[in-house]
Amino acid sequence: MTDLELPPRPRGRWKPWFALAVIVVITAITLSPQLGIAFSFDAIARNWQNGANKIFAMLQPDWAFFPRTIPPLLETLEMAVIATFVGSAISLPLCLWAARLTNPNRWGRGILRTILNIVRSIPDLLYASVLVAMVGVGALPGIIALLLFNIGIIVKMVSETIEANDAGPLEAGKAAGGTQLQINRAIALTDAAPSFINQTLYVLELNVRASTVLGLVGAGGLGLLIDAVRTFYRYDQLSLIILEILIVVVIIDSVSDAIRRRLV
Amino acid sequence: MTDVSSNAEAGAIAPASAPWSIRMRDVTVRYPNGVVALNRVTLDIEAGEMVSVVGLSGSGKSSMIRTINGLVPITSGSLEVGGRHLESLRGRELRRLRGEIGMIFQSFNLARRTSVLNNVLVGRLAHTPTWRTLLGLYLSDDKQIAFEALDSVGILAKAYDRASTLSGGQQQRVAIARALAQQPKLVLADEPVASLDPPTAIGVMGDLRRINHELGITVLTNLHLLDLARQYGTRLIGLRAGEVVYDGPAATASDEVFENIYGRSIEHEDVLGA
Repeated sequence: MTDLELPPRPRGRWKPWFALAVIVVITAITLSPQLGIAFSFDAIARNWQNGANKIFAMLQPDWAFFPRTIPPLLETLEMAVIATFVGSAISLPLCLWAARLTNPNRWGRGILRTILNIVRSIPDLLYASVLVAMVGVGALPGIIALLLFNIGIIVKMVSETIEANDAGPLEAGKAAGGTQLQINRAIALTDAAPSFINQTLYVLELNVRASTVLGLVGAGGLGLLIDAVRTFYRYDQLSLIILEILIVVVIIDSVSDAIRRRLV
Repeated sequence: MTDVSSNAEAGAIAPASAPWSIRMRDVTVRYPNGVVALNRVTLDIEAGEMVSVVGLSGSGKSSMIRTINGLVPITSGSLEVGGRHLESLRGRELRRLRGEIGMIFQSFNLARRTSVLNNVLVGRLAHTPTWRTLLGLYLSDDKQIAFEALDSVGILAKAYDRASTLSGGQQQRVAIARALAQQPKLVLADEPVASLDPPTAIGVMGDLRRINHELGITVLTNLHLLDLARQYGTRLIGLRAGEVVYDGPAATASDEVFENIYGRSIEHEDVLGA
């Protein structure tokens, strides 16, 4: 074997190990009773009997309860669909407004992004509970809460895709004398369409899941019913509701999957 | 709208009513990062000329073309395009000027997910009110112009195909049709054949020459291949490090001229040789 003149070894190979050590230390601290949350499995060991009874009750769904679950289930789906539709419609121009390639104005972009960061950082359940206090119990606060949540997600994800898209076609529009608005509509929008539709479908899935629990704070849909049966310890009825949610979510997932596959 | 060919003879893609000239006086372009792309360039390009601009990458030829339609602002000097001083144009006036200048790019720059027709209609943006563009309601006159532009580069049959399904050569022809749909007074082409194979490159250069010969439009083409520059330009401008180092007839420019422009000996990859 000849002596090869190897290039110098890259430095910094210790970095992954260091990162791993940091993660282990942080985990240990958060688990410690003095500093962290004192997480342990004790509670499960102590109360297992309690839990087993509830699981046993849930294994026997109360099928007779089915008719009463239909109206709130439909309300939940309506909330999800309306919020997705209106949310994506509001998001579309905002996506173009939030991306550098489609909005050269740094100030306008910065202001919009700051507002959206704030909107996104608040959980939907919190929106719902505040809105219930503001506009009353029912589907409306739920829809508004989902709407805010949807706009936050769609605008962030789609504007990031727009940033990653090829700037060349937009430059061609500029060179042909188009206004930014014309360029965005005629060129940027067609390139952003797959990402926009993708995110809208994803948000629909999220909304169906989220809208089932928003009712827990009074924002309409299945959540209201879940809260009621839970209060009366009717775990047999609860399991029926969970089963229905499961079926609906699976259906929505597979439908949006099918649409997505056609899209690409 | 159905019988495009007879309409084309009637002349909607008419010869440029008055092709544009370009006057550059001491034009300097310095980018924010300090790079000087053009250094006190003084040039006169007459209306109806077919000019090849050659130089290595980084010589400033791309910056020069982008300066002429205001995509790159000039730092100092004066630039007159079609009788208007570019350095003083803003907003609507600048867009109107750009609307009269067709531009062709190395990477075609088509919106890939939409139809060929919609891409060519981008050439009509400067003549279309914004609300029409937003609603996607193009005037039938504009569509007619787009169809004729596609017909003149021989790909009318692809009008409703998605742009991304076309070959590279076809895509560049769509880009030429987009420029033609502007009914331009001046066409700028930035390395239009650098992404194409030799036979396709010759076809596209032929289209550009036809635009110049038949429609009388001033054409400025950036090239790095010396045989194409000689064959398809009537005038050759050589740039090196942002300065004009050659300006003369293209056909008779010798290899020594190119060696001087490039600052090195001629190599295999400087020639298309098809």
